Amino acid sequence: MNHILNGPVTRVALCSGLALVLLPLVTGSASMSIEIVVFATAVLGANLLLGFTGLMSFAQGAFFGVGAYVAGLLRVEVDAGMLAVIVASGLAGAVASAVVGWISIRRQGIYFVMLTLAFAQLFYFLAYAFPGITGGENGLQGVSRPSLALGPFEIAPVTSNTGYYIFAASLFLILSMAVARVIHSPFGQVLLAIRENERRASATGYDVRVFKIIAFAIAGALAGIAGALQAMFVGLASISNVEILMSQEILMMSIIGGANSLAGALVGSGFVVAVSSVLSTWWPRWLLLLGLILMVVVLYFPGGLVGAARSLVARLKSGRPAPSSKGGLR
Amino acid sequence: MTVYLFQALNGVGLGMIYFLIAAGLSIVFGLLHFVNFAHGAFYMLGAYFCLQALRMGLDFWTALWLVPLVVGGLALLLERVLVRRTYRMAHMYQILITLGLGLVIQEICIIVWGTEALNVSPPESLSSVVFFGDFGYPSYRLFVISLATMLTFVLWLALEKTRLGALLRAGSQSVEMVALLGVNVSVLFAFAFAFSAGLAAVGGVLAAPLRGAEPFMAQEALSIAFVAVVIGGMGRYSGALVASILIGLTQSLMSSLWPMGANLMIFAAAAAILVFRPNGLMGRV
Repeated sequence: MNHILNGPVTRVALCSGLALVLLPLVTGSASMSIEIVVFATAVLGANLLLGFTGLMSFAQGAFFGVGAYVAGLLRVEVDAGMLAVIVASGLAGAVASAVVGWISIRRQGIYFVMLTLAFAQLFYFLAYAFPGITGGENGLQGVSRPSLALGPFEIAPVTSNTGYYIFAASLFLILSMAVARVIHSPFGQVLLAIRENERRASATGYDVRVFKIIAFAIAGALAGIAGALQAMFVGLASISNVEILMSQEILMMSIIGGANSLAGALVGSGFVVAVSSVLSTWWPRWLLLLGLILMVVVLYFPGGLVGAARSLVARLKSGRPAPSSKGGLR
Repeated sequence: MTVYLFQALNGVGLGMIYFLIAAGLSIVFGLLHFVNFAHGAFYMLGAYFCLQALRMGLDFWTALWLVPLVVGGLALLLERVLVRRTYRMAHMYQILITLGLGLVIQEICIIVWGTEALNVSPPESLSSVVFFGDFGYPSYRLFVISLATMLTFVLWLALEKTRLGALLRAGSQSVEMVALLGVNVSVLFAFAFAFSAGLAAVGGVLAAPLRGAEPFMAQEALSIAFVAVVIGGMGRYSGALVASILIGLTQSLMSSLWPMGANLMIFAAAAAILVFRPNGLMGRV
């Protein structure tokens, strides 16, 4: 029990909890805070894959979209409750992701990356080809937020944006604690071993494929939940959720924040959402700037903003330039 | 029945254009061992520059050789100032830097030419219809098929029979060994990058009169080229050629059978092939 109280999970809970309380005060807007938390949930999964397992997936947007559509269908067709929607979209994301992972990890390295991108396209064209289910280019409209209830007892109102933020932020907090627990479990250590040297991990006797597929499933569940949160936030499960751009944005958030830290999820999502919402009001082509920022981060801060902050702190502590370990990807 | 013949020919033409894109992707991958995520952007630049050249009063034939040179030159510049800085980094960073580059090019194209798809008319001399008996086929499409076939053959000759081709092939086996033989590998890398961009731009120029120029063609072409090289077996040009033509045929035939699902079929077929043949159609096991 003691190691849990002092351990990384508690640290994540305290740091993220503080950040989540401060977030609405800093942004001054409940809706922007919701958006940041929603994307941070998806980025959490991308970080688990990229930063902790060494798998660069271009398909996270697809699972985000699956979650959004499942939430949309459950809300529009059967008026499902909040917990049912979250659980179902998380499960759907996990299943879709596990299948994509199962096929993609048959190839390694660059081929793997290309396969995930091709799958992202597959999901987009699936959504496009079956408008009877997905609403096609109009999307599923009228996705309302159900009340947060356990049986007949209402727990909290989420119809206001403030209430919804508190719900989404609490969910994010729980999920990031869960991911922290996973990373610091023996399972997570095997993922790290795979990232460091896949052959060695395999030679040690671990069935690398199973570990990768499970990592994929977890990441897909997180993306699916994020998609459901997004759909219930904007009231729409849109086809733009499954576009390749969504996958790219999730990946960029992961890189800009710092893929191999859990704090990076919130930082990356917060940075990208804040920058894009500030910029998009006066310049519709803000993606140009995001592309430039991505290149600058890759060239000069390979560990993302969190990595840069860490090496700055290390430099201040030691009083001399930090060693070149910027905490980049392998 | 003639509808299907028409669509099949269209598919072959489309597939040949996809191959020009996939071949460049394969060359860069073979030598530099990274996938250029900005490769689709060079194809798109080919189409937009062709449009711009025609607007500026140049004729299509000039655009056909000038645009690939300009795009190749631009790629050379980008390789020197940007992409080469990532060679020592992990492959993920090369993907990311070219992803960022592709986004920037896409957004610049939107700023310059807008989000609407723009039409490019085929050259005057190729705007007629050629008849075989009572089967008519647009002469421009025939020209695309024959030129792309010729380029494919020249590319094969260049890779197999010239010193440069030998260097590219040797480099894809072992860059260190080529460097030890006294070849300036840095120049070879830059050349390969620029050449593959030029090849994609040829595809872009050829595609412009068929499909116009629009800002999202880069993403589409990139993912199709990915499918072609993964299905064909990376580094195997014959595999990529077969896969490209299959993709073109699927896309084209499906567009008369089930237009909404035309693109879906490509990616679904790719997934199915990889389930049963993880190394691609012609990949070595």
